[in-house]
Amino acid sequence: MSEQQIASNPAVQPAKRIDPLAVLVRFQSLIGLILVFAGGIIFSPRRHGVILFIQPDNIANIVRAVSETGIIAIGMTFVIITAGIDLSVGATLGLASVVTATLMVSGGFGLVTTVLAVLLMGTCFGLVQGAISSKFRLEAFIVTLAGLQAARGLALVVSDNQYINISYGDGPGLAPPIFAILGGRLFGNVVPVATIVFLIFACIATLALNTTRFGRYVYAVGGNERAARISGVPVSAIKIAVYAITGFASALAGIVHAGQFNFGSANDGTGYELTAIAAVVIGGTSLFGGSGSMVGTIAGTIMLGALANILQLNNITPAMQLLATAAIIVLAAVLQSLVRRREGLGR
Amino acid sequence: MTQNALRMWHAGRMALLAGSCLAIASVAHAADPLVKACAKDGEFVIGFSQANNAEPYRQHVNDELQAAAKAVPQFTLQIADGAGNVNTQTSQVDNFITQKVDLLLISPFEAAPLTPAVKRAMDAGIPVVELDRKTNGEAGKDYTAFIGGDNYKIALAAGEYTSKTLLPDGGEAAVLQGLPSSTPAVERLNGFKDGVKSNSKIQIVAEQAADWLPDKAQTAFAAMLQAHPDIKMVYASNDMMAAGALLAAKGAGKSVKIIGTDGLPGPAGGIEAVAKGDWSATFTYPTGAKEAVDMAKSILLDCASSVPATVTVDTTAITPDNAKQMMGK
Repeated sequence: MSEQQIASNPAVQPAKRIDPLAVLVRFQSLIGLILVFAGGIIFSPRRHGVILFIQPDNIANIVRAVSETGIIAIGMTFVIITAGIDLSVGATLGLASVVTATLMVSGGFGLVTTVLAVLLMGTCFGLVQGAISSKFRLEAFIVTLAGLQAARGLALVVSDNQYINISYGDGPGLAPPIFAILGGRLFGNVVPVATIVFLIFACIATLALNTTRFGRYVYAVGGNERAARISGVPVSAIKIAVYAITGFASALAGIVHAGQFNFGSANDGTGYELTAIAAVVIGGTSLFGGSGSMVGTIAGTIMLGALANILQLNNITPAMQLLATAAIIVLAAVLQSLVRRREGLGR
Repeated sequence: MTQNALRMWHAGRMALLAGSCLAIASVAHAADPLVKACAKDGEFVIGFSQANNAEPYRQHVNDELQAAAKAVPQFTLQIADGAGNVNTQTSQVDNFITQKVDLLLISPFEAAPLTPAVKRAMDAGIPVVELDRKTNGEAGKDYTAFIGGDNYKIALAAGEYTSKTLLPDGGEAAVLQGLPSSTPAVERLNGFKDGVKSNSKIQIVAEQAADWLPDKAQTAFAAMLQAHPDIKMVYASNDMMAAGALLAAKGAGKSVKIIGTDGLPGPAGGIEAVAKGDWSATFTYPTGAKEAVDMAKSILLDCASSVPATVTVDTTAITPDNAKQMMGK
């Protein structure tokens, strides 16, 4: 089956009509991000006439705080576009953080070995979940729910129920000092390294989704699995691959976590899967699969972080933050459903 | 292994903060004040970075801090909830630094992860007073001061009360431990065990971790009572688990003496449970809120050039003798 045939497959084709509502949905998270930033500037506390919200330091705080959930949300975007879901990401982050700490502190492994081993572990963890789900035709929800429990359990076993502190230096029981750079800032001590990792990963993922055959296959599988299968898309392989990507992303986030906070804990990353799903949905990706955008996810992630930041700068309670997030998720979902209805998909 | 296991606090001698009303007039040639902008009539923002509001004890700390800060018209207190997430808490400390708060109070969810954030605050010239939990480093150098109770001593007092007053004739005892990986859980377990050593007739027949949670405590203690029907008392490392233990004892139709820890106020707290006669005692884990606000007063209003690096706040035993009068406090 050639690429041309796939491109001419109706399941893969983008909508031709220019619908203002569809445009709004396509860019809803970017519009939302601009609105949140505008609101941030308007409602920002000022000190000596300086708008705190747009201080470089403050922007750095925002993007640092979302870098871990952002990395996970990027992986999650692939999965959700295939109409799947991965609930194991937060637990995998916890597992990766304790494995990272253990390998460097008690294992005495070097930085490169540790990072590669943890990334491989995360990828395999995702692969196994994808394979089980694909082979036995099980709901991804169920398989990854089991994966969540398994990853937490493994993390508790590896860490022996303890927090593992990472101390730096040269010698046994000490991690290579270079690893601490993940908690640092570059370019005049402003840009957090964790954010740089997030942005590099975001660029690669955006290119992969928007410009490669793999990306087109991901959309095809989510848009109409049968049609994709008939047009020769390796559906099982794609489905397994997207879970491998979320596993990889979670492991990467776990490494960033361990490096930022100099420790690994089995319970870290609890609830991250929901934050990531929220960012993806706000970014305009549909849980029904087949449509979505990576840039949207990135904007959605930063938007949630900016919202939390502006509320705290104004000393507004965390309860309001949850309620505001809830409202934004509902709004994003309603917009999508309006578009789907207009396209006659009826859901 | 980790350095935070079995780390004993060097409980400094009780440092009583001088009441700020006793400002010594005209201090000549004093060292520089900790905060240059200090002033009797200034307006100051204090940021409190709380580890996790979901824990009842921490909400109690928030309430006491708000009450103590309200009494000082010059202070505005802002509380940020880290929600048990080191990433969230770090970003909140960073936000406080962005806001240039005049003083940072913090109960770090975990020591190592919050250490860099505390360093950033100190580097920005913001004094940092750590409450109940420490980050890595040395009080008085890496952060301004530490204020808190001594978990080991509190549990030791509970153990001694058990030996002398509760079970002078001995018997079987059980322990419900907190989250095993946390320092307070380890310290409270060791303190209680050392406290009952003075009475050789007391045997601890069962210990289980219930992670500070009442439902887990109920399940664990019900199983303990099945295995050891002669258990006479149970030491719960916090009030929540003591409440769970009471449910288990009632379910088994047994009368077991219960000691809690924290001494929380309110209808669901330990003080009321002792007053009602449901528990034998609970030992308060003092919040240090009043001491923290006093320290903030001496730094920001009285221009102190130094403050005690460690302030250990003592526990109060809540027993049937004093529970009713403590309820009103």
